[in-house]
Amino acid sequence: MFDYDAERLRLILTELTRSTLNSDAWIWLNEKINSGKIADFNTAFVLMPRKTGKSVVHVSDELSEEINSIKPGLTFKNWTADRLGRIYLIFNLDATDHAVYVKTVENLFLTAEVSELVALYSSLPVLAWADAWKLRCAEGIRSNIGSVLEAIMYDNPYPSDYLDENAWNQLVMKAFFTDKDVNRIIGLDERANADLKATISDYTAERKAAGRKINPFLWRLTAKFMDAELLNDLGELIKHGSKREKQAAALTLYYSDFQPAADLLDEHPEFLAAIKNKELNWDTLNPED
Amino acid sequence: MCCSHSFEDKRPLAPIEKMDLEIIKGMKFFDPHVHMSSRTTDDYQAMADAGVVALIEPAFWLGQPRTGIDSFRDYYSSLVGWERFRSSQFGIKHYCTIGLNSREANNEGLAEEVMEILPLFVYKEGVVGVGEIGFDDQTAAEEKYYRLQLELAKEAGLPVQIHTPHRDKKRGTQRSMDIAIEHGLDPYMVIVDHNNEETVKEVLDRGFWAAFTIYPFTKMGNERMVELTRQYGSERIMINSAADWGISDPLAVPKTAALMKLRGISDEDIRKITYSNAITAFAQSGQIDENDFIGPQQIDQTERFEGNTVLRGGQVPRTDKSSIIIS
Repeated sequence: MFDYDAERLRLILTELTRSTLNSDAWIWLNEKINSGKIADFNTAFVLMPRKTGKSVVHVSDELSEEINSIKPGLTFKNWTADRLGRIYLIFNLDATDHAVYVKTVENLFLTAEVSELVALYSSLPVLAWADAWKLRCAEGIRSNIGSVLEAIMYDNPYPSDYLDENAWNQLVMKAFFTDKDVNRIIGLDERANADLKATISDYTAERKAAGRKINPFLWRLTAKFMDAELLNDLGELIKHGSKREKQAAALTLYYSDFQPAADLLDEHPEFLAAIKNKELNWDTLNPED
Repeated sequence: MCCSHSFEDKRPLAPIEKMDLEIIKGMKFFDPHVHMSSRTTDDYQAMADAGVVALIEPAFWLGQPRTGIDSFRDYYSSLVGWERFRSSQFGIKHYCTIGLNSREANNEGLAEEVMEILPLFVYKEGVVGVGEIGFDDQTAAEEKYYRLQLELAKEAGLPVQIHTPHRDKKRGTQRSMDIAIEHGLDPYMVIVDHNNEETVKEVLDRGFWAAFTIYPFTKMGNERMVELTRQYGSERIMINSAADWGISDPLAVPKTAALMKLRGISDEDIRKITYSNAITAFAQSGQIDENDFIGPQQIDQTERFEGNTVLRGGQVPRTDKSSIIIS
């Protein structure tokens, strides 16, 4: 049913929820869970913020690491109490009957308000029957609600684990189009692919033609698919771009397996040195000027 | 739902008084009845600029009758989803009331189905009441679903936002209040909307909240509202725009505040009528936290967030309306 060690996560999630909620809310939530009735499950899901409030969940670094060892990329950091309560509720839903389980969870999506959608999409990586949520996840990427997109894109291992290439590429391009912090997309480098690179090449050309800025993180996704044309663009950028653009060009060249890319980077030893002594990486890019 | 849009009673235009909102600069407004789904982003921008910090969008008749339950479900979902997000982009906190409007209560088959899904929505975060419900033609079907929804509001502990009819208004308003009391609702939990000079006294005397809709041609004008304020004061009185798909004004609340100020109404009375009374009434739902819309508004759209250039809170960049250039 689960693609990870659910019993280990159960211990952590239970303790984290218990320590986050006040005792009334904790008792209320467990009563709803123990009743086993779908109606109680639905009501509890909707009423959650009224019972739990919206304080921010405290997750220590130690705990964070442990969660990460169960499900790489998953974190409950900066979550609000209602979001945690909702995931705890769903986690405790009986998953033995595949059809009933999927229908029950899917039903929540159909009438969800914004915070509910956020909780639902961020619960994807812990849901049972992981294969069943691919279309739902792809549908979520079609949303234009910022916080819903972020629930799917940020710190969420589900998309990179389960989306097919098409849907994954939509997620990545949508993140760029909606100015998201792409560093928080899990699996960004691992799932880079030739088709995505082709889309990015067209897109950067289009931005150039329109005289609009090009997000330097776009280049990151092209590193493994370097060709002469791209090399030309990066050569321009590393010479004439802003500091941020120069750094992005250098990093892209560095992570490429294409020999002319390495040769080009050799002409800019200051960037090569910064990358090698770990001062420069995709997380430390200069802010935009 | 607000008006029948009969323009027959259109009065000759009074001498034009130039709009100057400078006089109400720094004031905050709460519009407890406005149908943003029918409005544009320009309206949102203008409202935010004029000081509207929060609003309530009641579920209403969309102009085009719905023919199936899915249309209702998607509409309610949009009130707690998409429209809420759209509003947040302009720094305006969006609440809603959920209900089956009186016109569509007359389609009984569909009304039955709607009643089944209402409980899915009334407990959602940010749903501050059951509304707008009440009478239109004052048919038996309208009465039936009005009563059922009063029971739902009671069960959910939510305020009720009552739409009063255009035709036979006075008796329709009385009847709405009689029925609410018959069902054991506390008048303090009931906001009676679209009042005028003829209905307000009884509404207040019986302990209900009296809302006035400032809406051109068919409802209250704001000069009349100023006079009413002089007569009745500010206790349990609030105003709204009920702006919708008709010729209406989403700035009705700030404009009326400005007129009140010009005509010597006290700041305290203006504040109650255009802001705090609505909050007091609808906060009985437990769903309004004033901290969500007071304090420094995050409107610096270029500010970096977590070191990135993401616009905070999903706010959209402002376009320069005075320029012919679109970039």
